[in-house]
Parts: sequence; structure tokens; C-alpha cells
Amino acid sequence: MSRSDKRWRRMLGRGEERPRKARRWTRIAAAVQGPPTVFLILRRMRAPLIVLITIFAISVLGLTLVPGRDETGQPARMGFFDAFYFMSYTATTIGYGEIPHEFTGAQRLWVMASIYLTVIGWAYAIGSLLTLLQDRAFRQALALQRFTRTVARIREPFLLIAGYGQTGQLLGRSLDALGRRLVVVDSNAERVDALDIDAYRADVPGLAGDARNPQTLEHAGLGHPYCEGVLALTDDDEVNLAVAMTAALVRPELPVIARTVSPAVGYRMAAFGSPTVVNAFDRYGDHLRLALRAPASYQLMVWLESGLGATLPDRAQPPRAGRWVLCGYGRFGRELTEDLHAEGLTVTVIDIAASADPDPWVVVGDGSEPSVMARADLAHAVGFVAGTDNDTTNLSLVAAARRINPHLFVASRQNRPETAPLFAAMRVDSLLVPAEVVAHEIYAQLSTPLLWHFLREMPALGDRWAANMITRLHKHCGRRLHGLWRTTLDADEAPALIRWLRDGRATLRDLLRHPDDRDERLDIVPLLILRDEQATLGPADDAALQAGDQILFAGQPWDRRALLDTLTVDSVSQYVLYGRRVPSSWVWQRLTHSPRSG
Amino acid sequence: MSLEKVIFGFFVLLAATLNFGFFIGDIDDPTLHNKYELFAAVVVNLIATVLKFGDRTQIGAVHLATSLVADLQLIAATLVWTWATQISATGLDGESMASVVSLSGGALMANIVSVILLVIETVSFQRR
Repeated sequence: MSRSDKRWRRMLGRGEERPRKARRWTRIAAAVQGPPTVFLILRRMRAPLIVLITIFAISVLGLTLVPGRDETGQPARMGFFDAFYFMSYTATTIGYGEIPHEFTGAQRLWVMASIYLTVIGWAYAIGSLLTLLQDRAFRQALALQRFTRTVARIREPFLLIAGYGQTGQLLGRSLDALGRRLVVVDSNAERVDALDIDAYRADVPGLAGDARNPQTLEHAGLGHPYCEGVLALTDDDEVNLAVAMTAALVRPELPVIARTVSPAVGYRMAAFGSPTVVNAFDRYGDHLRLALRAPASYQLMVWLESGLGATLPDRAQPPRAGRWVLCGYGRFGRELTEDLHAEGLTVTVIDIAASADPDPWVVVGDGSEPSVMARADLAHAVGFVAGTDNDTTNLSLVAAARRINPHLFVASRQNRPETAPLFAAMRVDSLLVPAEVVAHEIYAQLSTPLLWHFLREMPALGDRWAANMITRLHKHCGRRLHGLWRTTLDADEAPALIRWLRDGRATLRDLLRHPDDRDERLDIVPLLILRDEQATLGPADDAALQAGDQILFAGQPWDRRALLDTLTVDSVSQYVLYGRRVPSSWVWQRLTHSPRSG
Repeated sequence: MSLEKVIFGFFVLLAATLNFGFFIGDIDDPTLHNKYELFAAVVVNLIATVLKFGDRTQIGAVHLATSLVADLQLIAATLVWTWATQISATGLDGESMASVVSLSGGALMANIVSVILLVIETVSFQRR
């Protein structure tokens, strides 16, 4: 790999390649390939072709047998060559006018019959071919073949996404922005067709098929040597379980991330290998707890998780003491109640269905009825959560709750993407969009392992630390976060720094000087330094650096390019680190005997 | 008994027999080789080829290949024949007739292989 090639890969954020064990295809036993299309066409075209050949043969043969006459009036029969020539231009309706001699009555009679015959033959053959091309089964076979071929041709690491609903689309877009390749399987053909319209940078092959079928996954490249992970993101827990299971059995070494809303399915998934299970309701509960305890930490987490170009979210201030009222006591309600209880808050739950063994805090009734709302005593509550699986209900619940108590902290669950503008207009304080929670969580895990490290360890440092970090990020990067990348200080990624790192006096401050003017500092914020599995979060500028350190940076793309120059170009690094101006061309370097680093 | 097998066997065999009928006789004597027989051989061979389309078994693939060879040879023979009768100044002389017949002889080889395959298929077929 040439240096410029590496440079590009680094710029495109392709630095996170795991060593892959499998270099060859792993085939599921007895995997049947789709039949080659040409055989399908041939098989279907058998009858029309035979009809055509027969009609042609009869016409040509007849024409050679029917008596004719030449110019001089002598009886003469047409030869095979002339007959075939005549039939060729007549049967194909080209009607070229040349004939060897004028036809006799008998010949004309025969030609007339054969013209009608051949037209029927051609119409039948062409009609069959067109029907075949319109045929659904045929088109599916064609699409499957094209898909399999496209996937087989991929020569860079790709992620296999099963389920291209809201979550899949969100995640697909943010991963694509990072330059990752994707392959998509979804049971809904419309969603797969939408892939062609979506503005992806890379070509994303999509297959409409049942992800529960191992063969579908096989077609989608589960056994492909460049498959680097499987994401099960469908709405159906059972499908996700099947995908996680298939992936664990066929390619045990592949990382699997599966989405679920039920802890029971989560346990069943964990029985196969070690998939990462993301439960949106569970995660939202954790987020809410974090938001209750440390609003700034929560704000920072959401900002970093939201992908490239995310704007700084507002800092929510959920009330830390008091009573919460929660509507809807399904899986989400139960998770959330548990989490709120764990935070030491009292909770009143309104649920429409009375359970056999009701918890003491449950008020049974329809939340939209004023009498039921009155029993929940909203006037003396501090927070309200509309957590049913119906958006219209949630919106009306939020409106009703606000009317009773305008000072409530209102959280709501948004199930469908179309209703987003309505919730935005309601100015709900905290919004749970399950698809987004899952997408952000998986993004944080996949984009770079260092970000995941950072997010896991960050809450422990406390709210004040997070608030400082946000101020720092805001000062250097603005309200939008455009770049988040990892740099490894080794000979591979930072060839121009190796000597400097060996000196032992390397600090972040020197590294982040501007290549144009070293008294200026690049607008880059180091988020984390990872050294021998020891992470330092939010290192200060005087932090010491060593060879082999992995650093997570946040900053603008142009600053990233400037830093890349420092890392790779000797003359730039000499200036940035030591203030020395050295010639960059080899000849001049020889002439001046300047010290070369690296 | 399946009608499909009857038709298939019929055309494969007919292709071979017609081919043989045209081939037999002194190689350079035009009077011994009937042009209608050659025409029939070409047509029947084409039909036999189409009948073999779309079979994905190993033996089916070889079947198709032999038919394609026979087609190629027979069409080459008709082209030579057309050249001799229509374009060449000498007409259909012994030399050109010899090349027509020898080309059809090559097609006959392929057709014989086809028949052998048919026989093998029939013999190895067991009704359980």
C-alpha cells in the first residue's frame, strides 16, 4: 500500500479495519445458487422456437417444391437458397422486393399461406419473450442474480444489515457518511427499491427477502470474506433472533448487533455466541436516569452519538425530586417505572388494562378521560410520560397533561417517523424515538471503538466535567460536530512523528499547532487517549504522548487535513513540532543535510 | 410412457438418421446426395437442439453441446453448398460436394454421440 493510498484511507475514515480471520467464503452446506438466467430463458422459449423453426422449414420447403417459371417461360423451381432468402425477408415483415423470377399463381398461393403462418410464428415467439421479461418470477430471479453478483464483487469490508426500516435507514445513512459499505436485506420490496433513490455515496446492494431464511443471508454475503459484521434491525424480534442465530452459527467470529424490545428475546440471543443486544426501551430508561442525574453528561452523549453534522442538543433538565405520572404500562412503561424507582422517584402509572396482580402505583383507566387523569393527580406531579404505542394518543395525552399542569416536564414516545413534526410543534421536553435510540447506540459502537470507550466511561466523570467538555467542543467546533476520528501514533499512520515520539517530550500542545503558523492552535479537541487499554478522557494540552497511543479527536474536516499533514509530511512536522523550516524536496534535503525524522 | 420422452427420442434419432442418409454414398458424386435430405437434416437438428434447451443436468449439458456441434457442421455444409451452387463459377463440382459431405460426416459423428447419450440415459434410468 502506498503512502498516498493510506493517506486517503485515513481521510475517508477507513481506519477501523479489524483483522479478519476468514479470507475465504464460508458456504452454508447445500446452498443452492439461483438458476442462471440464460437457462430460464431457453427453457421458456423452447416451444416458440420450435414453432418458428417448423413454420420456416415448411414455408421454405414448400417454396422449393411449388412449380415456377423463369423469364423465358421454361418451368423452373426455386432453389433452397433463393427460397430461404425470400422467406427470411418476407417472414420478418421486412418485405424486400427482390425475387429471382416473377411468381406463378401456384407460388403466390403458397407464399400467401406461408406469410400468415410466419407472422403468427414471429408474433408468438416475440410475445413469449416479452411475457417472460414481464414475468415476476423471472424478474425476481434476475434481481437475485444481480444482487448476488454485486455482493460477491465487493472487495472492501461491509456490514450486513437485516431490516431496512426506520432504524436501518437512519443507521445506514450515518454509516455511509463514514464511508462504510453496506448490504441490505428487507422483507419489504418497496424499502429495498427505495435504496436506489436514497442518496448514498457508495452503491448499497439490497435484496427483498426473508432474513429468517439462512439462504437469503448467504446471498447477502454472510459467508463473504469481507463481511465485517451483521446487524439485525427488523421490527420483528423473532426475525432478529433468527438472524443473530444464523450469523453466530455460520460465522462465529463475526460481531453481531441485534435489536429487540423484549429482555426474554435478548437472553435467547445471548445463548448464541456473544451478540450485542440493543433494547431501545431499556436504553431510553438508562438515558433518562443519566439525564436525571447528570444533564450535561446526557447532553454530551446524545451529541456525540447523533452522527456527523449533529447540532448540539438542548440540555434537558428533568425534575430530580417529585412524582412522575406515566401513561401506558407495556414493556416500555415497565422498564421506565423500574428505572425511575431506581432513581428514588415515585411513579403513578395510568394503564388501560387491569392486570391480575396490579402494582400499587397503577391507576386503571383510559388516560384520555378527565376523571382518570384527575385520579393520577397531575397537578402535584413534576413529570409526565406519554408512553403508549399510538402517536395520536400520546399527543393528546401530552396536550391534556399540559392543560392540567403547565409546569410539567413532559416526555413522550414517538413511534412513527411521520409524526415527528407534530411532536416538535408540541415542544416535548424529552422524546423517545426507539428507532433513533437504537441507531445512535449502534452507531456509537460501530463508528469507532474509541467513541464507544469514551461514552461508556464518560458518565463516571460527573456532570461538571461533561459541561466543561461541551464548552470546549463548542468553542472549537461550533454547534455542529463535523468530524470525529481516531488517529494512531505509529509508523503506519504518523510516519513523520516517530522520532519526536521517541524523544519522550511529546505533548498534545505541540502536535496540535497549526501548520501555517505554529503559534496558532488547530481547532481540534482531543476526547480520549487510549494507551495499553488505559483510557484518559478529555486530556489537557500538556498531556504526554507516546508511540502507539490511539487518540480520538473531534474537529472540522479542514483541521483534520492540517493535522494529517503534520502526521505524514516530514517538512510540515519539522515546522510544527520544532519551528524548523526544512526543504521538502529530496535533492534539497541532501544538499542541506537537514535532519530527517521518521 | 411420457410423450415428452417420445418426442425427444424421436427428434434426436431422426436427426441422426437423416444426417446418415445424406452422408452415405460416394463423397464427390452430387447425384448420390439429396439436397432435400440435407435441408431436412438441418431443420430436424435445429429442433432437436431447441428441445435440449434448459436442462441443467450434466448429461443434458453434453446433449446440448453435441447438438450445437452438429448444427454448426450442418450449417457450414449448407453454406458451402450455397457457395458452390450460387456464387462459384464452376458450380457444384466433385470437389465442393466432397467438402459438403465431409462436413455433414462431422455432424454425423456428433449426432451419433447424441444417440449414444440417449441410449446411456435410457439404460441407466431406473423406475423405482
